[in-house]
Amino acid sequence: MPINISNEKQRDAVVAMEGVRPKRDVRYVDEDMNAVFNRRLLKTDVSHELPELMKKLPNFEDISEALVDADPEIDTENFGMFLTETSRVYVGDGGIVHSVEEFEVVTNPDGTERERRPRKKEPQNINTDVPLKWTGKFIKKPDAVKRFVFAGKKQLAHINGLTFDFLYEIAKKLHEEDSLLLLRAGEHRDRPLVMNRGGKPYNAFLEGRIEGDSYCLILHLSNMELKRPAPIEDDRMPATAKRKASAEPEDKKKLTRAKPAVTEHDVADAEPKKIKAAKKKADTKTRK
Amino acid sequence: MAKPLVLSLDGEEFPVKLAKIDRERLYGSVTVEAFDEHGDEVFLRVLAYDGKTIIDKGGTALATVTEQGDSIPRNRLIAVSSDGEELEPVPSSFSAPNLLERATVEDYLSHTVKSVYALEAAEESELDHLRDSLSDGRIYKFPFSYRGGLEYDGAFLIGNKEGIFMIVGQPAVLKFLKLGQAVVLEPTEEQEVAADDLDFDLL
Repeated sequence: MPINISNEKQRDAVVAMEGVRPKRDVRYVDEDMNAVFNRRLLKTDVSHELPELMKKLPNFEDISEALVDADPEIDTENFGMFLTETSRVYVGDGGIVHSVEEFEVVTNPDGTERERRPRKKEPQNINTDVPLKWTGKFIKKPDAVKRFVFAGKKQLAHINGLTFDFLYEIAKKLHEEDSLLLLRAGEHRDRPLVMNRGGKPYNAFLEGRIEGDSYCLILHLSNMELKRPAPIEDDRMPATAKRKASAEPEDKKKLTRAKPAVTEHDVADAEPKKIKAAKKKADTKTRK
Repeated sequence: MAKPLVLSLDGEEFPVKLAKIDRERLYGSVTVEAFDEHGDEVFLRVLAYDGKTIIDKGGTALATVTEQGDSIPRNRLIAVSSDGEELEPVPSSFSAPNLLERATVEDYLSHTVKSVYALEAAEESELDHLRDSLSDGRIYKFPFSYRGGLEYDGAFLIGNKEGIFMIVGQPAVLKFLKLGQAVVLEPTEEQEVAADDLDFDLL
């Protein structure tokens, strides 16, 4: 995967970014020491599950009899087949749906709903016309490991002789500083890194190591601080939210509650089926 | 009461309880709901390569097969190392005291993180000496396996003002690259992340 990154002199280059795998020493063999493989296979599909069977046989007794007599829940031709090249699709009552509206439901650590909003799929920002900026913000390694959990790692690699020199110099600088460099994306150096469209945003820190004439540049990705969760009180409301709520004047509280659940676009677009159906019913009654 | 994990440093033993920490517990989570043009809720499912078989959650299984494609039960499998040596199972780290060793920050940064725990003193024990030992930025490590298994993970103890944390990870394959080891640049992957995989956006 290409990544467009700039150095201390704000010169930028497109280089390669590779995934970092954990070392794995365990593998499995059969009794004759031959390699074995894991394969995903089909156990059942939706057309053989209970809701579909109930469309044909509405009561459970009939279904029970059918299960014993005729095995309608099993497709002997297809069940057990190896699954390759699968894809993910949205499915409704009428089958595959191609046009959908997606909403994100943001939930607090205590499980209460905080926000409901139309989903935005941010594009990737690691290989655009605007290179990832050298922020100059160095964090000493011992401080960084005390503050952040690094959930993922990538490694940067050169694609030719010129980019070897470019990356080696970056690694050497970071090695000498004994620090991680904060990397940001966007024109204003204010965006976390997004690797794929709709992917998770990460705070990224670059580490450089040197061994003779070779280098190792590791991009540490973090979306979590090293800290304890806030205690959740008995009434299932987080302490901070409770303090905030009690500090608000009464009229403001009412205003907050009166806000629509969806923060962007038309509220009507965001209404789930049940609300829409209830409104429709109410309208019909009024007209009558 | 759950058995404590016993850590051993400078001849002193520290029984501790583990409390798992993840992003959801710190910041909450984001789930995605989707609706069709009539406002009816729709759900993500797996579509098989034939373009017509739709599979719900739990509709697939993993099977271990031989080179010929024959299924083989798990109890007939043998775990071996990369050298082909048969592996001896390792015991759970809760079964005996775990001796702490000094680790470097580079050693820690060379691991891919699997899980994070906050440590609490088990009943009637004190962690003062352990806390003091970690206060100057020192990192300690020990081999860790929660339930026992085929290999240990690396567990690192890090202290900060919030307390003592244990970060469990596996060593990563990191490459030192020389001039002649240029890689071929693959095109940008515009592949989308599955909608139900998204729990981000709280940064």
